[in-house]
Amino acid sequence: MLSEIIIGIIAAAIPLSITFVLVGIGEMFNQRAGVFNLGAEGIMMVGAFLGFYVEYIMKSGPGSSFLGMIAAIAVGSLMGAVMAVTCVNFKAEQGIAGIALFMLGWGVAGMLFRVYIGGTTSIVGLKALDIPFLNSIPVLGAILFSHNIMVYITLVIIPLSWYLLNRTAWGLKVKAVGTAPRAADTMGVKVDRIRFQCVVIGGAMAGLAGAYLSICQTHIYADNITAGRGFIAVALVYFGKWKPTGILWGALLFSLAHSFQRSIQVYGIDFPYEIAVMFPYILVIAVLAISGSSRIMAPTMLGRPYYREQRD
Amino acid sequence: MKMLKRILLIWSAIGMISSSVLAAETKLALVIPSTIDDLAWSQAMYQGIKDAQTELGADKLTFEVSERLWNAVDAGAAIRQYALKGFNIIIAHGAQYQSLLADIAPDFPKTSFAYGTGFNTPEPNIFAYDPHAQEGAYLLGMLAGLTTRSGIIGLVGPIKAGDAIKYNKGFEQGVMSVNSKAKVRVAYTGSFGDLVAAGEIARTHIKAGADVLTGTSQQTVGAINVVAEKEGLVWLSSDMDQKSIAPKTVLAAQVYNFKNVILNIVKNRASGVYGGKHLELSFANGGLILNFNDAIIGIAPKNAREKILAAKEKIIDGSLKIELN
Repeated sequence: MLSEIIIGIIAAAIPLSITFVLVGIGEMFNQRAGVFNLGAEGIMMVGAFLGFYVEYIMKSGPGSSFLGMIAAIAVGSLMGAVMAVTCVNFKAEQGIAGIALFMLGWGVAGMLFRVYIGGTTSIVGLKALDIPFLNSIPVLGAILFSHNIMVYITLVIIPLSWYLLNRTAWGLKVKAVGTAPRAADTMGVKVDRIRFQCVVIGGAMAGLAGAYLSICQTHIYADNITAGRGFIAVALVYFGKWKPTGILWGALLFSLAHSFQRSIQVYGIDFPYEIAVMFPYILVIAVLAISGSSRIMAPTMLGRPYYREQRD
Repeated sequence: MKMLKRILLIWSAIGMISSSVLAAETKLALVIPSTIDDLAWSQAMYQGIKDAQTELGADKLTFEVSERLWNAVDAGAAIRQYALKGFNIIIAHGAQYQSLLADIAPDFPKTSFAYGTGFNTPEPNIFAYDPHAQEGAYLLGMLAGLTTRSGIIGLVGPIKAGDAIKYNKGFEQGVMSVNSKAKVRVAYTGSFGDLVAAGEIARTHIKAGADVLTGTSQQTVGAINVVAEKEGLVWLSSDMDQKSIAPKTVLAAQVYNFKNVILNIVKNRASGVYGGKHLELSFANGGLILNFNDAIIGIAPKNAREKILAAKEKIIDGSLKIELN
């Protein structure tokens, strides 16, 4: 019984963590390049709506789910481009621009939902798949091989993003413009262009994460579907020290804590629920406090626009 | 003759004033924490206002809505603005707005304010409305107790407060009244609007063996879809009839009929009462409605509906009391 509960907790945490991983990886790219985007939450909302809407008008089915996700990536890229124009080209204050983008996304998604859907309705979405043979492996089968396909796609995205960042010339440029943009510029790297690309990638990933929520997790769109997950993902980038694997572990730890507290409640373990729901947040704060070296790992020019014509 | 003229003059003046009061347009403002299409708490009130408007006439009752004002500071600003613009009735739809209204209401003594779920009326121009969530919850609990095969029933709660406590207590008593061996497992998300978390709790309940699930607040739409993923599981809804989301899953619903609350407030104002009353919604006064989903009611035992309707009559005549302590 206890082993079943533990397996259930871990198995439930994996799909839950995917949202954070997707947004976190995207945010990692733009933060590595020196731009933090607090608007990820708003981009997620628009992505969640558009992904849902595309499947809704195409009357469901796996093909329409994937089209929905592509639409969410496209709109996320577009919103990322808006953020990039504002903060990279026009050098606006990144925190304020991010909050404005969040509010814009929330409003736009809600308005489009009201105009084009008009009320709560559901779609088929992408459901969990039991992978033949593998899902019957004891313990591992239940934990790893009974999830929707986006879980596996995300697990491929993690090493890909690591490779992109650490084994390609482009990745080197990204790290350079986030740490020493003046030096990168003198070496011929187009700082603003690289930053722009990274913010667009961050937007695309946030859009995809939003679509994951509506298409894979809830099969529905409702106002404020993201419920702060975009902001948590931004925090998890710090937690993960701007590394894809760090973000994965952070997302898994946070999701495990959530899954654990839900199981405590469901199985009737006598524990105040108020503390149980706080537990994941307390855990993240505690780990952040203990790992005080996070700031050392941070891109040194994070949040600071690059003025080519000015002296440092 | 002079005396007669005076009486006629006074009489016609009174007539003009009273007819102008009756004919006057009532302007109502609704402040809600979520949206008018949440298929739960906020939509139930929005629907109630629309129904009241249909009954009174569109020229007699007009209304405006401000959505997503779960934050008390933003809600307070909106409420004050509505009062300054001369709205007659301002409904702040949530227990969390009580202290806010107590602060604002004294500044606008001719404006009626209302909030719920609640029973305190801290100012003479504040109405408190109070759905007896426990009544429908008891009946839904009976249905759950009679329908469950696994003997495990899952409850997805928002925050342990107000309506949710009343619902949960009524539901558990209803289950126990027909199936003392059944287990009701309660888990809270800690939020009213986190539908992903509600879905995850539903998933955990299902993995723990629950085959009948229920819950309250706007987040439940997330849980219903998770329940609908597996055949043979049912959901019992509250606040509104949510079967439009999952017609083969939502077995029955307790519906809040807020129309009577609105009509009551309008009527009270016409007689010069601006607040100070506790307005209840119950099966006895038509404030609560119980809907069965006839398409799938066959899942429940044959005599379930009769037993539940008999219990409903007992609730109405007062012979069946639901304990909230």
